[in-house]
Amino acid sequence: MEMTLLIGLDAASYILTLLLVCIGLVIIFGMMNVINLAHGEFFLLGAYTVVLLQQYALPFAVILVTAFVFVALIGLIIEELVIRRIYHRFLDTILATWGISLALKQLVIILFGPGSQPTVAPFAEPIAMFGITYSSYRLFIMGMAIVITATTFLILFRTRWGLTARGVIANRQMASCLGVNTRRVDRVTFAFGSGLAGLAGAIMAPLMSVDPQMGVGFLVPAFLSILVGGIASPLGAIWGASIIGGSNSVVAAIWTPVIAQIVVFSLAIVVIRLMPDGLAGRKKR
Amino acid sequence: MKSKYSRSLTVLFWAALAGAPLFLGGWNLGLLSQLMIYGIFAMSLAFIWGQGGLLCFGQSLFFGIGAYAMALTTKGMIPGVPAITLAGLVLAMILPALVAGLLGLALFKGRGLYGAYFGIVTLSAAVIAERLAINWSYIGGFNGILDVPPLRLEWGSWQIELYDPLLFFLVVLVAAFAAFLVLLKLERSAFGTVLRGIRDNETRAAFLGFETAEYKTVAFAVSGAVAGLAGALFAVQFAFVSPAILGFALATEVLIWVAIGGKTVLLAAFIGALAVKSVENVLSDTLGQYWLLVLGLLFVAAVVVLPRGLLAPFLNLSLPPALRRSEPLKKSTTT
Amino acid sequence: MLSVRDLKAGYIHGAPVLKGLDLDLTRGDCIALMGRNGMGKTTFVKALMGVLPEIAGSIRFLDQEIVGLAPYQISNAGIAYVPQGREIFPDFTVEQNLTMGRIGKPKQQNESFDFIYEYFPILAERHKQLGGTMSGGQQQQLAIARALVGRPDLLLLDEPSEGIQPSIVQELAAILRRIVEQEEMTVIVVEQNLNLVRRLAHHVHFIENGLIKSGVAVDEINKDPAIISRYLSV
Repeated sequence: MEMTLLIGLDAASYILTLLLVCIGLVIIFGMMNVINLAHGEFFLLGAYTVVLLQQYALPFAVILVTAFVFVALIGLIIEELVIRRIYHRFLDTILATWGISLALKQLVIILFGPGSQPTVAPFAEPIAMFGITYSSYRLFIMGMAIVITATTFLILFRTRWGLTARGVIANRQMASCLGVNTRRVDRVTFAFGSGLAGLAGAIMAPLMSVDPQMGVGFLVPAFLSILVGGIASPLGAIWGASIIGGSNSVVAAIWTPVIAQIVVFSLAIVVIRLMPDGLAGRKKR
Repeated sequence: MKSKYSRSLTVLFWAALAGAPLFLGGWNLGLLSQLMIYGIFAMSLAFIWGQGGLLCFGQSLFFGIGAYAMALTTKGMIPGVPAITLAGLVLAMILPALVAGLLGLALFKGRGLYGAYFGIVTLSAAVIAERLAINWSYIGGFNGILDVPPLRLEWGSWQIELYDPLLFFLVVLVAAFAAFLVLLKLERSAFGTVLRGIRDNETRAAFLGFETAEYKTVAFAVSGAVAGLAGALFAVQFAFVSPAILGFALATEVLIWVAIGGKTVLLAAFIGALAVKSVENVLSDTLGQYWLLVLGLLFVAAVVVLPRGLLAPFLNLSLPPALRRSEPLKKSTTT
Repeated sequence: MLSVRDLKAGYIHGAPVLKGLDLDLTRGDCIALMGRNGMGKTTFVKALMGVLPEIAGSIRFLDQEIVGLAPYQISNAGIAYVPQGREIFPDFTVEQNLTMGRIGKPKQQNESFDFIYEYFPILAERHKQLGGTMSGGQQQQLAIARALVGRPDLLLLDEPSEGIQPSIVQELAAILRRIVEQEEMTVIVVEQNLNLVRRLAHHVHFIENGLIKSGVAVDEINKDPAIISRYLSV
C-alpha cells in the first residue's frame, strides 16, 4: 500500500515537473510554430538565477519572479535578433534555436564553470502522511506546476491578451486588419513562453544538480510530451506530460529508469507516428 | 545561382586532397584522414537533408551503428561473421541502411511524418540508441569497445595491415571520393530529380504519381549506408567506439558542419566539416571555452542570413543536360 | 477625407495589378466599385488596408499618408475592413469576435456592444455562440459588426453579398443603409450584386485594368439599368 502510494506520488511529481517544463514549450511551439530547442537553456538560465541570487539571501519568491522576468527578457532579445527573421522558415527555427542553445550553454560554462553549483531549498523537511514521508519541496513543486498551468490557461482563455494572441494564431492577417499589432503579440508570446521555462528552471533548481547540462535531460521527454499530446492546443501538454511522465515512472518502478526511458521514448515515437496531431489534437489549419 | 568555376573548384579540391601526402607528414595525414571521415559523414546528411528535405537530427545513429558493426565484426564478436575488414565494412554499411530503411518505412508510409516531427523523432531515436548501447554489456556498455583492429587487406595467403598513416589515408580518400561520386550520381539521376521534387512540394510529387514514401525511404537508407561507412572508418582510426558517437552531441555537430557548408551541395558539406573541424583544432587552443560560443553564434548567423550555406554557391555543379530541362519535376524522367 | 493618387500595387514585384489609380472621397460618400473579375477591385481594398507586398503611390486618409503603414496602424487610424469570405474567427464566440474588432482602439475599449446589437439583433441573441457555427448571412453580419465596433471613419466591404441568399441580401442592404445614415459613415463597397449596390451606394465607379475608368450616380442607374451592362461588358 505504502509502496503504491509512493510510486503514485513519484509519478505525479514527474508528470507535474514535465508539465512545468512543457507549458512554455507548447506556447512557443503551438502558438508561434517555432520549435525552440533553446528551451532547455532557458530552463538552465532560470536555475542559475537561483544560484546567483541565493548568494544575496533574497527571499525565494523574489528569486522566482526575477528568474521569470530575466529569462523573459532574454527571450525578448532573442526573438528580436533571430526568431522574427525566420518565422516563415519553420525548419530553420529548429536549427537557429539549437545554435542559440549551444551559445547560451557555453556562456554559462564560461561564467560559472562546467561544474555543479550549490542551491538551497527554501524548505526541505519531509512531510509524513498516510504512513509515508515525502519531500515537502517536491510537494511544493507539484503545487507550483498546477498553479502555473492554471494561471497560463486563465491568461490564454480568460484575458484580452490571451484572446488577442489566439486571434493572431487563428488568422494573422485578419487580426492585423482589425488593429492588432502582431509584432508585439509575437514578442510578448515568445517572452512569456521563455519566462515560463526560466521559472520552471528556478523552481526545479534546489532539487537538481545545477550544471550546464541540466536542461538537455528534459528536452527530449518534453518535446515527446507535447507531440504526443498534440500542439494545436495547450491542453495537449497536460495529456502528453501525463502519459510520458506517468508511464515512465511506472515502468521505472517495475524495471529500471533506463529501460523506462527506452520503452517510453519508443512508444512515444509510435504514438506520434500513428497520431501526428496528438491525442488532444484536432488538425491544425 | 551557380559559379562558373564550381566544376574546376571541385576537381581542384579532390586533386589537392590526393596530392596531400606529398606535403604532409604522418601525423598531419592522420589528422586529415580524420577530417575526411567527418566529411563523409557530413555528405551523408547533406544528401538526405539537402536533396530529400528531411532534417535528420539523429544522423549519428547510423554513424554509430556503422562504427559498432565494424568494431564487433573485426573483433570476431558477431557469431557467424568472419572477423575480416571486408566483412566489417560491408556490415557497417548494410546495417545502418537497414535501420534507416525500416525507420523510413515506419515513418514515411501512409500519412507520414513531416518536417519538424521527423527531426524530433530521429533525435529521440538517437538518444534511445545511445541509452541502449550504454546498458548493453555485450557491446561494452558505457566503456564501449577498445582495441578495434586496423584495416587488413587479404588476398589468399597474402595480407597487410594498414598501420601506416599514408595507406590509411589513401583508403579514406578512396572511400570519400567513392561516396562523393555515388551520391553525386544519384543526385544527378532521375531519382535525384524526383527527390528534389518531393523536397519542394511533396503533395505535387504524389499527385504526379510518385510513391514519395519509397523515394524518401531509399534516400534515407543510402544516407544511412554512407554514414555507416564513415562510422566504420572512424572506429578503425581511433581503435575505439563508445556510446557517445550514437547520440545527441555528434548528431547536432554534423548538422552544424552541413548548415555552415551548405546542405544542397555535397562538396560544400564535406568541406564544411573539414573547415569547422580544422578551425576548431586551431582555435580551441587560443579561444578556449569561447570557441563553442563563437561556433554557436556563427551557426545561428549562417542559418538566419545564409540559409544556403557559406560554400554551396561556389561549388554547385550544374545538372547534366538531359535533366536540366526536366527540372522541376516531370514524370517522363523516370519510368 | 480619402485621396488616392497614382496608386500602383500588386502581389509580385514588377507586375502591378493597380496601375496608377486615382480616387477622392469626402466624408459621407458611399461608393460602389464594380468591374469584371481580375480588374483590381479586391486588390484596391487590400491596398487601402496595407496588406499587399508591393505598393507605391500615395493614399492620404484624414490628412495622414497611409502607404507604408502596417495594417494595424491603418485600422487604428480609422479604416475598417470586411474581407471577402468574411474571415471571422470560427472558434471565438460572437462576443469574442466583436472584442477582436476593438483591440487596438483605446477609445472604444469600454463601450458596450449595445449599439451594434441594435443593428444586428441576431448577434445579441447569439452572443455566446461560436462564430463558425452560424449561417453565412449571420457570419456576414458578424464580420460587419466586428468592423463597426472600432467606430471607423471609412468602411471597406468586399463582396458582402457573396454566398448569401437573395432575401438575406435585401435585409443586409437595409441594415447597411441604416448604419451609413445614422453613423455618417464613409463606405467603399466592392460588389457584383446590383440589388445591394442600388440600395446602398450613391455612386458607382468602374474599375478596368487597374484604373478607375468612370463613375455614374446610382440615380442614373435607377433611371436606366442598361448603363451597368454597358460599362461591364465593354
